[in-house]
Amino acid sequence: MKIIVAIKQVPVRDSSLHIDSNGRWIDEEDLSYEINEPDAYALEAALQLKEKHGGEVVALLAGPARGAQTIREALAKGADRAIHIECDDLATLDTLGIASRLAAAIKEEAADLILTGLQSDDLGLGQTGVVLAELLGIPHATIIMHVEVGSGSIQVKRELEDGWFQNVDMPLPALLTIQSGISKLRYATLMGIKKAKTKEVRRIAAADLPGAAAATITLDRVYLPEKKKETQMLEGTPKEAAAKLADKLKFEVRVI
Amino acid sequence: MMNTAVAARALSLSLRYAEPPSFTSFEIGMLALVIVASAVGFFWRFSSVLRNIFSAKRDPDFHLSPIAKRVWDFFWEVLCQAKVIRERPLPGIAHAFVFWGFLAFALVSLNHFAAGFRLGFLDADGWVGGFYFWFAAVFALLVAVSIAGLFVRRFFVRPIWLGRKISYESGFIAFLIFGLMATYLAAFLVPATSATARGLWWAHALCILIFLPLIPHTKHLHLVLSPITIFLSRGEFSRIPPLAGDEDFGLVTGKDVTQLVALQAYSCVECGRCTEHCPASTTGKELNPKQIILGMRSYLNDLGPHSDEPLLGKYNSQDAAFQCTTCGACEFQCPVGIEHLPIIIGLRRGAVNTGTYEDDHGTKLFLALERSGNALGMSASERDKFIKKQELPIFDGSQEYCLWLGCMGAYDPQGREIIASFAKVMSYLGTSFGVLKKEKCTGDPVRRLGNDLVFQQLAEQNLEIMKQQKVTKIVTICPHCVRTIAKDWRDFGASPEVEHHSEFMARYQDKLPKTADGPEIVYHDPCYLGRYRGSYDQPREVLALSGRVIEPPRTRERSFCCGAGGGLAFLGEETGNERVSHNRARELAATGAAIVGAACPFCNTMLRDALAATSETPPQLLDIAQIAAQSIANQSIANQAAQPHPAS
Repeated sequence: MKIIVAIKQVPVRDSSLHIDSNGRWIDEEDLSYEINEPDAYALEAALQLKEKHGGEVVALLAGPARGAQTIREALAKGADRAIHIECDDLATLDTLGIASRLAAAIKEEAADLILTGLQSDDLGLGQTGVVLAELLGIPHATIIMHVEVGSGSIQVKRELEDGWFQNVDMPLPALLTIQSGISKLRYATLMGIKKAKTKEVRRIAAADLPGAAAATITLDRVYLPEKKKETQMLEGTPKEAAAKLADKLKFEVRVI
Repeated sequence: MMNTAVAARALSLSLRYAEPPSFTSFEIGMLALVIVASAVGFFWRFSSVLRNIFSAKRDPDFHLSPIAKRVWDFFWEVLCQAKVIRERPLPGIAHAFVFWGFLAFALVSLNHFAAGFRLGFLDADGWVGGFYFWFAAVFALLVAVSIAGLFVRRFFVRPIWLGRKISYESGFIAFLIFGLMATYLAAFLVPATSATARGLWWAHALCILIFLPLIPHTKHLHLVLSPITIFLSRGEFSRIPPLAGDEDFGLVTGKDVTQLVALQAYSCVECGRCTEHCPASTTGKELNPKQIILGMRSYLNDLGPHSDEPLLGKYNSQDAAFQCTTCGACEFQCPVGIEHLPIIIGLRRGAVNTGTYEDDHGTKLFLALERSGNALGMSASERDKFIKKQELPIFDGSQEYCLWLGCMGAYDPQGREIIASFAKVMSYLGTSFGVLKKEKCTGDPVRRLGNDLVFQQLAEQNLEIMKQQKVTKIVTICPHCVRTIAKDWRDFGASPEVEHHSEFMARYQDKLPKTADGPEIVYHDPCYLGRYRGSYDQPREVLALSGRVIEPPRTRERSFCCGAGGGLAFLGEETGNERVSHNRARELAATGAAIVGAACPFCNTMLRDALAATSETPPQLLDIAQIAAQSIANQSIANQAAQPHPAS
């Protein structure tokens, strides 16, 4: 089984972010990058399927040269080879634009299964996978918790709202967007990194791919959440105040 | 007076060593035959040991220099038996007498066999020979008494760390050694020409010749190998060798076993000192450092140093290897020069670097260090907030010291208190210091757990920060950080000078306030400050300013681990019959001291929980910096009170 995992490189979680001078994106200098977390679980799912059923795992990444680091880590964890679409203009593309690049790069691969995280930690649009499936003309399912491979088809478990799940039978080839936190991630090893050096990374310049669809959505402004401080006094006896507090925490602030 | 002198002379004349004056050709032929058989027996077995040692992989980082240190260690530990005696005085002295006896006896034994071929060079009637036979007789007596004592200890007293399996072979060897001495001494009581003297001569010769082929496959191989092992040490405590080339991932299979590892595995005398002092063994866990070494030896005996069979599996357990706190008590105690830590950490490297180690807690730690650069998996912004709240100055190259927070100092609530206290002490002393804006874990837990990939990343990132910020002197509250910065980073570049806060404060002790009637403080030596660094006195000197320092039963180089080292603080609940920290906490509380003085944030966090869990009224637990800061605060209150009040 040939599995392609589309991964994205995003700023390290908890980085201190600054808006760049034109207010359309974040200042990328001084930032460290890592694999998008849901994509890490997509990669893990692909590696587990390969360990169980054999085949090949190909990592796919679109992004600037710094993406090589994330590709190397994917190869170190066990991906067999990688495709790197080199481009510096990600911030100017919408999901259709980026998905059309990904689709063009892997069309000839004719993979049995394409996995990706259900959304990215930086933009959180959750559409790239779905649009990619549409462009490739294959079925897709989202928010996947579990994948079982049958002969020529797969059974997947989707997460729905409020503790409900849906089990779906799907034909292959197919595209799945993987939920974060569904399994235990493996750690990169020294041996893996050494092996990664010998693995193939195909670099494709964005210019060599058919022109990406013009953006239908443009990003207007990026800004940090504005902090507001508001004090409410809860009146009543301690018992009443406590009940009000619990109510507010539960339904207004939604932290309990 | 006259009479006793004459009697003594008469006695010394009659009591002289009796050797048969001549040997028949048949006897000489027989002797030659037995010697050849004995030598063949010895070399037949010893050659496979030598082959396994010599054909093993060469140690990539071994240097014979500095030779003077090696000569000194050899003199002190082998010839003087200093370590053997110091760590176990009574059996140690007994062993030393046997050893010195063997040395004194070497000439006698040589003469013994030479005499059998009519080539004897020591004449019992001559001045030199007469003296030497008597000289050796004194040792023979000491050896006989000592070996009998050791025999009683091994077979009747039987300390548990000698293991459950009784070795009848070592009993037989003790009997041979005793026989060797008895036959020698008895020869002083018979005339040289008697048949008894001839019988004794042969019995003496046979004791040696039977002993010889028993050496290579028993623990008595240490007679031959351990002096070499001690001479060829790695040169420093817990020296973790660098990985050599792209195919080296640590100790994975027999092919990775190096000559030093093989030599050390064959040197083990099975005394069990390592087991006795091991925190894992003491608390009923699977790990027994002696078994790790013997497992390695069995592997080499069965499969040799070229096998592809994994080292962890049949011969040694992975679980056991990951129970080691790297406290180093085993390596420190070992009288035959075995360096357990490079071996145990080597086995862990093999498992982690190839991905065969699968543990949820371990993986979580590795991923946390990969992603957030600190072992607690916290966001770096939490560190920023702490620095801001404490108003710690940022290091900008103008200050003398870089105060390294470490993961515990930056993120752990107790560690933060220690940093805050130490910052007060530094300010009181007027020392300029600053903390780094960005700091990653030194990599200590991954270094000890054998994750070379993450360790290298952390070391390189930190060294880059050091270079950018032009840091030349670091002081820190964490002995693990000290060790890793001082020794482990150097595989990837030159690191700045680093000092533990106990060493810093001890240097300024004259400027720190002294309390006259302070409380009793029991001091707990952290492994990484004591055994790893040899700083035993400095923290005590600092504590002595504020109270009366008392010692727990296991102290200084015999200090007992808190259980946190070697990355184990992050590996979840312990197995065995008790937590290491509880074992230590009970001992510290039992001293009755009002305060437990700690000098490591990991010890601090382990002991805090353990003291609360094991004692109804636990002593107060404080870091030496907190104690020093308290004295400073007390002094300033006293000074204010002493100042005359403004006229009211």
